[in-house]
Amino acid sequence: MTDILNTENKLLEVLNEEFKLLSGKVKRKCRVEITIENEQIIPVLLFAKERLEYIHFSHMSCVDWIEDGKLEVIYILWSPKEKINLLIKTKVNRDNGNLPNIDFIWRQANTYEREIREMFGLPFDGLVGNQDFILEDWEEIPPMRRDFITDEYVSETYFERPGREDAKDVREQILGRTDEDLPDFAKKYSRD
Amino acid sequence: MAYDKDSQSIVDYIQNFARKHSLFVLAYGTGCGAIEIPPTMTSRYDAERFGIRGAATPRQADVLLITGYLATKSLKRVIRTYEQMQNPKYVIAFGSCTINGGMYWDSYNTINMLDKYIPVDVYINGCMPRPEAVISGFVKLQGEIQAGRAEGWKRYQDNLDEYRANQKKIIKNWTMPDYNW
Repeated sequence: MTDILNTENKLLEVLNEEFKLLSGKVKRKCRVEITIENEQIIPVLLFAKERLEYIHFSHMSCVDWIEDGKLEVIYILWSPKEKINLLIKTKVNRDNGNLPNIDFIWRQANTYEREIREMFGLPFDGLVGNQDFILEDWEEIPPMRRDFITDEYVSETYFERPGREDAKDVREQILGRTDEDLPDFAKKYSRD
Repeated sequence: MAYDKDSQSIVDYIQNFARKHSLFVLAYGTGCGAIEIPPTMTSRYDAERFGIRGAATPRQADVLLITGYLATKSLKRVIRTYEQMQNPKYVIAFGSCTINGGMYWDSYNTINMLDKYIPVDVYINGCMPRPEAVISGFVKLQGEIQAGRAEGWKRYQDNLDEYRANQKKIIKNWTMPDYNW
């Protein structure tokens, strides 16, 4: 097993020697995940790009940890040489946090950053362009934050077409159904 | 008004006959349904048998296809496009998204009922409708035109305030010109 994950472990070793990581582990084959401080983002990304040849910036996404009051931003890099996905995670404050702009390293990061700024309300230092990206005339809190309640917003803003008169609400019937009521072919897929 | 040759003047009859056989469709697609248009137009299903063909600009077009879900951002463009089209103009709404929101019924950024914002003449259901269904919808529209019932554009003029109120509820920053007919 260790032989298979040789490249992955070596990558983690190199990163551990160079930086003080908050945590780092090999998730599975071709996937390494590290957690770092906000200040380390630019050094780690530059190191990965210039020295380790993680030249491809696959994706950048954001997760809202509302219970901890944090937003987690994930940078996903890919090395065509080593065939490894490197996930670099960092957490910022939900209310007043901000992150460095990295579009001078990869220009395509600009698009992801604008999307995250609009969808999560997380500002990036020195990000050019204040105009709306996807949403127009948006006056609510950013829609991907978990305290934005989509159901309420939709029922206030849009119209709902009334259903057919003969439509029945079967939700309670389905919830109260026991395993005996299930037809034979469905038992195969039962969770128990 | 039911389709009845005697109750229509002969001019109306000829006018409607001519209109129904030259439906120019605006080459504009929203959502995923626009992918069904190329097979409908090209050799396999060949919609030009029915006089249906593409038009480059809104001024030249008769039919506006709303092909699938409509984000609030594209609703603004659709309204502007629709208002630039010349009368008589018809709207065909594709797929369940335009009827009741479809799979995007609880999305914060897509509208649910298209006919609250612009008048719809024919709905084609399905997710997505196949080219056969699309052609069937067009044939249905032709029947409505011949019978003189496809009057969405008149409905829009008569109830403009109501439509405008619904549109402005979504488009808060209204920068479009107000067309008056």
